[in-house]
Amino acid sequence: MAQYGTDEWEAEYQAMLADRMKNPAPYIYFTPEWAALYEKTIQNDEPYKDAAKTWEGTVVLHVEKSPEWGLDIDVYVFMDLWHGECRSIRIVPNDAGEAGDFVITGSLERWEQVAKKELDSTKGMMQGKLKLKGDLPTIVRAVRASQRLTDLSADVGGFFPTELNDEQKAEFKIAMDALAKVLG
Amino acid sequence: MAGGEPEITMAPGAEEAGMASMIADMIKTNIKNKPERMKDFNKLRGTIWITASDAETEMTMEFTGSSLTVSKGKVGTPILAIETDATTLLELANIEIKMGMPYYFDETGRMVIKKLMSKELKIKGMFAHTVALTRMTKLLSVK
Repeated sequence: MAQYGTDEWEAEYQAMLADRMKNPAPYIYFTPEWAALYEKTIQNDEPYKDAAKTWEGTVVLHVEKSPEWGLDIDVYVFMDLWHGECRSIRIVPNDAGEAGDFVITGSLERWEQVAKKELDSTKGMMQGKLKLKGDLPTIVRAVRASQRLTDLSADVGGFFPTELNDEQKAEFKIAMDALAKVLG
Repeated sequence: MAGGEPEITMAPGAEEAGMASMIADMIKTNIKNKPERMKDFNKLRGTIWITASDAETEMTMEFTGSSLTVSKGKVGTPILAIETDATTLLELANIEIKMGMPYYFDETGRMVIKKLMSKELKIKGMFAHTVALTRMTKLLSVK
């Protein structure tokens, strides 16, 4: 795969995405095809646009690896957000993910709780269940926008690796291992 | 003395507690971004207890007039006891500061007043320790 951030990388990513999206939705959370639906959902959401009018910066959802659920790699969902617009959402290599302006880290189980609205992201950070890296005052100023983002992740829908049967889990593991190779 | 870095100490266990760590980080960053608030830091004396009841988490800030110790849980006897939910707590940090004072006449300010009236936000000691509350609000405000 070409180097992340180049036009070549983007072209290869889009080709991989087109191939993966041949399967119909719902998709498994935090896969490139799920991220593509999440991107569209945010792009079409007026409450988010309104709440994030002054937002500048990239936000990364970092899902820690969970080998017990077939997730052998850390996944970084990289969201390029600017003044209410969602420019893109991509699954990116680890070093690109870590370089995001704001990185919110949690285990797969925690993110599942957030997506199922069993755990409010603000509450999760207060409880130390989700860790935030980045300028805290900036994200506090945008508390409504960040809550809307997590609400929308629930609206996208999909399956969690924890919900897959053994056969599906094995397929998921193969797919994610292949993704890891592609991302580099 | 205005300027300089605030002396903030995390008591054992506080570093791992999400809220205690977040609030300490916020105060530190706010003073870095607005050094004039160091005056408030250096004039604030007393213990402040905060709980985000929905998150079942609490913390204590002990201001000495020159330093701050942040602890997980409740420590000592607070002059201010703040009880609300996690989201409101972060909204409190969005109160505008105008002319050196918290401003309660915009949307965020009105929301805070409304939550005080409906008891969704409880601040014990707010009338007896108004100055301390003002200083703490300024230290927490990201605006």
